[in-house]
Amino acid sequence: MAPPVSTPKSASPSQPSGKSEVTDLKLQLRHLAGSRAPGADDAKRDLFKRVISCMTVGIDVSPAFSEMVMCSATSDVVLKKMCYLYVGNYARCNPDLALLTINFLQKDCHDQDPTIRGLALRSLCSLRVQNLVEYLVAPLAAGLKDHSSYVRTVAAIGVLKLYHISATMCHDSDFPAALKALMLSDPDAQVVANCLYSLLEIWTQDAANSDEAAREIEALYGKSIIYYLLNRIKDFSEWAQCLVLDLVSKYIPSDNNEIFDMMNLLEDRLQHANGAVVLATIKVFLHLTMSMTDVHQQVYERIKAPLLTLVGAGSPEQSYAVLCHLHLLVMRAPMLFSSDYKHFYCQFSDPSYVKKLKLEMLTAIANESNTYEIVTELCEYAGNVDVPIAQESIRAVGKIALQQYDVNAIVDRLLQFLEMEKDYVTAETLVLVKDLLRKYPQWSHDCIAVVGNISSNSIQEPKAKAALIWMLGEYSQDMMDAPYVLESLVENWEEEHSPEVRLHLLTAVMKCFFKRAPETQKALGAALAAGLADNNQDVHDRALFYYRLLQYDVAVAERVVNPPKQAVSVFADTQSSEIKDRIFDEFNSLSVVYQKPSYLFTDKEHRGPFEFSEDLSNLAIGGDSGDDVIHSAQRYEENDKDLLLSTSDKEENGGPTHNGSSTYSAPSDVNSSTSLVSSSTTQPAAFAIDDLLGLGVLDTPVLPPPPALSLNAKPVLDPGTFQKKWGQLTVSSSQESTLSIQGVASLTAPQSLIKHMQNNSIQCIASGGQPPNYKFFFFAQKEGSSSFFLVECIVNTASAKAQIKIKADDASASDAFASLFQSALSNFGSS
Amino acid sequence: MVEKQTTGHHVDRSICAWFWHQYNHHRNNDQMSVVTSPTHYLFPLIRHGIIFLACTQLELPPLLPIEFLSRFADILSDYLCAGSGAGATLNEDIVKDNFVIVYEVLDEMMDNGFPLTTEPNLLKDIVLPPNLVTKVLHAVTGNSSPSVGPTLPHAAASTVPWRSTHPKTTTNEVYVNLVEQLDASVNRDGNLRRCQVYGEIQVNSSLPGFPDLTLSFTNPSLLNDVRFHPCVRFRPWESSQVLSFVPPDGHFKLMTYRVKELKKIPIYVKPQLTSDSGNCRISALVGVRNDPGKTIDSIIVEFQLPPCITSADLTSNHGTVDILADKTCRWSIGQIPKDKLPSLSGNLVLEPGLDRLHVAPTFQVRFKIMGIAMSGLQIDKLDVKNMPANPYKGFRAQTQAGDYEFRS
Repeated sequence: MAPPVSTPKSASPSQPSGKSEVTDLKLQLRHLAGSRAPGADDAKRDLFKRVISCMTVGIDVSPAFSEMVMCSATSDVVLKKMCYLYVGNYARCNPDLALLTINFLQKDCHDQDPTIRGLALRSLCSLRVQNLVEYLVAPLAAGLKDHSSYVRTVAAIGVLKLYHISATMCHDSDFPAALKALMLSDPDAQVVANCLYSLLEIWTQDAANSDEAAREIEALYGKSIIYYLLNRIKDFSEWAQCLVLDLVSKYIPSDNNEIFDMMNLLEDRLQHANGAVVLATIKVFLHLTMSMTDVHQQVYERIKAPLLTLVGAGSPEQSYAVLCHLHLLVMRAPMLFSSDYKHFYCQFSDPSYVKKLKLEMLTAIANESNTYEIVTELCEYAGNVDVPIAQESIRAVGKIALQQYDVNAIVDRLLQFLEMEKDYVTAETLVLVKDLLRKYPQWSHDCIAVVGNISSNSIQEPKAKAALIWMLGEYSQDMMDAPYVLESLVENWEEEHSPEVRLHLLTAVMKCFFKRAPETQKALGAALAAGLADNNQDVHDRALFYYRLLQYDVAVAERVVNPPKQAVSVFADTQSSEIKDRIFDEFNSLSVVYQKPSYLFTDKEHRGPFEFSEDLSNLAIGGDSGDDVIHSAQRYEENDKDLLLSTSDKEENGGPTHNGSSTYSAPSDVNSSTSLVSSSTTQPAAFAIDDLLGLGVLDTPVLPPPPALSLNAKPVLDPGTFQKKWGQLTVSSSQESTLSIQGVASLTAPQSLIKHMQNNSIQCIASGGQPPNYKFFFFAQKEGSSSFFLVECIVNTASAKAQIKIKADDASASDAFASLFQSALSNFGSS
Repeated sequence: MVEKQTTGHHVDRSICAWFWHQYNHHRNNDQMSVVTSPTHYLFPLIRHGIIFLACTQLELPPLLPIEFLSRFADILSDYLCAGSGAGATLNEDIVKDNFVIVYEVLDEMMDNGFPLTTEPNLLKDIVLPPNLVTKVLHAVTGNSSPSVGPTLPHAAASTVPWRSTHPKTTTNEVYVNLVEQLDASVNRDGNLRRCQVYGEIQVNSSLPGFPDLTLSFTNPSLLNDVRFHPCVRFRPWESSQVLSFVPPDGHFKLMTYRVKELKKIPIYVKPQLTSDSGNCRISALVGVRNDPGKTIDSIIVEFQLPPCITSADLTSNHGTVDILADKTCRWSIGQIPKDKLPSLSGNLVLEPGLDRLHVAPTFQVRFKIMGIAMSGLQIDKLDVKNMPANPYKGFRAQTQAGDYEFRS
């Protein structure tokens, strides 16, 4: 298999000969063009074949366009087909020459043979040249009424092609209505399916701009059409069945009888040979029974067997996609596959992406009854030749242990891994043992005995080394030689490249010091000295911090560094249930494969009917991990600009406007609403202090009392200036706060919070969003000065959380303002 | 070499270059079945060294493109390889020689990104396959034998779209072939970890007219999950577990099924590896455990030598041992002789510095048993109705190893 030729004009090795070949072909074609000799068609056919293969390998044969068109006046079907293919490929770059082809294509549209009529119509529609659109309408209209179903299927799709070239032309010719009529009456199932496909795409794209299209879409999801399609479902081709099933999954039946009728009708689809049909049917079943818990469970039971067959029988590509869906199902109903765990055992010949998913499945379905079996199996993989899979399987064992089943046996297994003396196994296991000990401190004695025997020299992986060092520090009282191991590690400080390891080393030495001071003192000194000289800022800071802490009071230092610890009950890296639900709603789609809801990865323009506010995606990413923060921050910025721009536009127009896609609306009465503002300016400050005490703020217990800050009750800031300031200033304070229950309850619309904040002398400049996410931009001005505070506040009513970002002209006052803002926010709803 | 098909929005060819780069990059570790490129989502499907690639920018059911591509691959190999003799697989040269056919088939199978006609029988009516007959005809008569059917299939209008109304068969026969694939894995202690059978019923029918067939099993309760060709009627299966259908013409897959856990495997391998001081002794025994009653043919045992092995010296008392270029050791046994058990033994030399072998190779076994379906599924009878003359009916069964592995 050779690498593909990237562009037709790239310097491919065949290029030099290609050029002369094209001229050669041109000459021969011209020679044959008018010939009516008996063998002419065969000669032409050979020539055409050569042209097509040149085209395929990427040689630009468009110079021969006019010759090709001249030769196309023939009755030979093969020649016609090749010519259509050629024309379809090059018409776009030669719109003028394409005009030449129109004539013979139109003529072919009236041919006796339906095959030729269909082919010609398809080629005509595939030209995709803007200025030829007018020639399309008549043949299409005739095609839709053709007595051959083949031509009608082509015409139905042709309408869609026309729509993509020129939507207005398509509507002017009233094609959507014709398609709808055809869809409801045509005896041929394929024609119906193609009509449906075209209509769905046309109306979905129109729905944003036209109420009529939106109504038509509604009608497609309506009872009569759904029933019409369902009754014919067995006539449809398998692909059309997928389309119809997808449509059905969005239909909401009126009562339970209807649900059962539909399920009975569709049950045999679960045994279709095509996996795509099976999965689409499963989606319908799951969605239909969402509200009926017990039936929903029965559905799970029913779909189990087909899904397992799909996993085992298909190609690896197929089983990967199906396994993703299974994983999702297991997340919702862990008991579902607990007795079928053997289906997820890895086969040697599985590609590693499938193996990885299978391991995840095994982790997810482990419970009391099958843990022993699963862990035994996983342990066998640890000896696998494929190192990444061996590592994954060790990780899987650890995850199962953290799920609290049969921990005893698993810990034994893990410790056996440590004795295998394979570097990557040891490394992986150490990390797991560390996590286990955090959750089950009671196992420390068994583990420490084994971990103590591991030589720190044999471990290179930073994560594993950090884990080992953590254990050395944490359990130094149980490990005889912990101080000496740490000491030797400190001696090799220079050779340790990972800052993470060095940080852990510092902390571990500190912990060891509090437990076995005499033995560790020397190492601690050396570690602190090395840390202070370290060129990594974090390491340096932590060393300095420890140093000063020790100087201040050793007892306090011990309380800070080595407090009594509570076992961790849940690790925080699990996906939120809201996201999972959303993915489940998008069952049988790419979301499941990516394990992300579609709004996180599809472009806005392609998002189609599922429209989610951009805010939401930002929120989700922001909460994700450190890597994404910068990225999402940039997106915030862009987003904010959009937001502000749109609001300033609206200010000019005056009055609140709602334009379809943008969900933001500026309050029209920013400046005029001052009558609502309470006159008291001292009250907010008092609130702030009250609340500080009441809340007992978590992270900073010794906060100095904020200086009294009073705000201007009637600040004035126009959106343009706000936007400029927002762009210039850096975030001076970023916090998260919790809303009261009453607050959440009263936040049914952005306006309520805006009014509330106005009462606290904080003005809103823009707001927007849909439940459960709202976004606000506030501003306030310090009394008697020109310094402004700008706030971005994102409220999630589902979790009752608000994320606040504050930018201030006067950064020193921003903390005071932040607490003021928070207290105002937490008061929301109680007044 | 890249085939391309543009529908709806124009997809730039450079996406292929991008994918090719990624593919080479990831070749050894992780190749996903859904790849995200900067502009598109790609579904690659690899068959016989040819990559079929689908691109999308939209959200869609992932199985749709995957199924379509595998269908396309099947049909293409059906088209192009039938002419070049049995056993041929799709390869680059065949595709190169038949660009035109590929385009024609693709054109019929997909229109504007929506699958159109994918039933092989129907397709063959529209686009004739380049088979020997047409070639000969072409050579003899010098007549242009279009690779395009002269007329449209009438099946489009018939109630059973998979069957053309006028199949041109001269013979009157139907063959039913039970092909089973046995997956099993045995762990290092010799315990059967899992064992299951995937089977399919292949039918080759060449019956004139509009035949109505009924196939019944003696023990249908064995079947755990079944999937049918669209021609199978669902109700008779549900009520009395018989397959009632109007067959398409020619070769097709009537049903695929999965059988519950089996407890017995026909053949076993006992691998043993002991290593010390840089050497590893390896020995493996192969024997029949639960005699299926028929001979087990073409037994091949394969295992991957771990990368840390520098040289290997392997001998066997039966069959031949080859070490292939990718460090796969293949021991071709053929049939198990009556008088002795085939055994393999030898010595592996480890990389300097390694004392013991830490990884355990997996032994994969391939074999074939003719005349029996290991699951025990048996066909009871096949009734043919709606036929002028009684056709010839043939039955066969065959079991072969799928993922049949022994861990050491």
